[in-house]
Amino acid sequence: MEEAKVLFTIFGLEVTGHVTTMWGIMLFMFLVFVVATRKLDKVPGRFQCMVEYTVEALLNFFSGIMGREQARRYFPLLATLFLFILISNWSGLLPFAGHVEGFRPPTSTLSVTAGLAVIAFVATQIAGFREKGLGYLKSFFQPFFIMFPLNLIEELVRPLSLSLRLFGNIFGEEMVVVVLLSMAPYFAPIPMQLLGILFGFIQALVFTTLTAIYISSATADAH
Amino acid sequence: MNMTSAIIALAVALVMGIATIGPALGQGTASAKAMEGIARQPEVAGELRTTLIIALAFMEALTIYGLLIAFMLLAKMG
Repeated sequence: MEEAKVLFTIFGLEVTGHVTTMWGIMLFMFLVFVVATRKLDKVPGRFQCMVEYTVEALLNFFSGIMGREQARRYFPLLATLFLFILISNWSGLLPFAGHVEGFRPPTSTLSVTAGLAVIAFVATQIAGFREKGLGYLKSFFQPFFIMFPLNLIEELVRPLSLSLRLFGNIFGEEMVVVVLLSMAPYFAPIPMQLLGILFGFIQALVFTTLTAIYISSATADAH
Repeated sequence: MNMTSAIIALAVALVMGIATIGPALGQGTASAKAMEGIARQPEVAGELRTTLIIALAFMEALTIYGLLIAFMLLAKMG
């Protein structure tokens, strides 16, 4: 795995092609949602209808996991995670991705996926403390006192597995496409990229579903 | 090609081969049970399908960990 090329530095922080693509995706999502909510009609037009459908489908999906009221509360975090991961997984399939210097899918680097996993981890802890107060720490000693090390290890391994799963899938797909390109350009990578569409969606779904499950299990038995 | 590169190449091949055995068996079993469930109760096919996909992604992750190790070893070869 070669090091990503640093494009420029801002205040001493290195900016690679992944970061610039992430800015591009942020701008794209921002524009989409600003345009969709500009003139909200009671009878929606086509674009607003599409965005409403996405939001509603995501809300129903999360309600199936954590119940309606909790899904509404954590919806901004979960929906943003899902949409960002989905778009950045699929950005690897666009033309010029990986070849032009400033354009690489953000989730193909461990830095970005580890950052997302840390966000999910911190959100879980905050949700647990907010719902249960200090009783959240006591839940680590359930059901037996000696289960504490096992519970702790399980809790700490979650961000690790989240980040590695997402990184491995997207980076692996990119690498396989590179190898196939060197064998038979234009045709050989096509099956791999079709799989890439499917797996990009599945990985975004799995990351968000797992985060939702972790949040709902951290706030369980609270009410 | 010296001895180190040869051993690393062997290790890469072994990692990838062995890493796919367990998850493949697990995914086959999960899919078989899911298909049985759908055949028994077609109206819950949608829920079963979603749960199956999520379970498959879990098992896929284990093979992907092996793939990552293979890539890291490959970078050290030669």
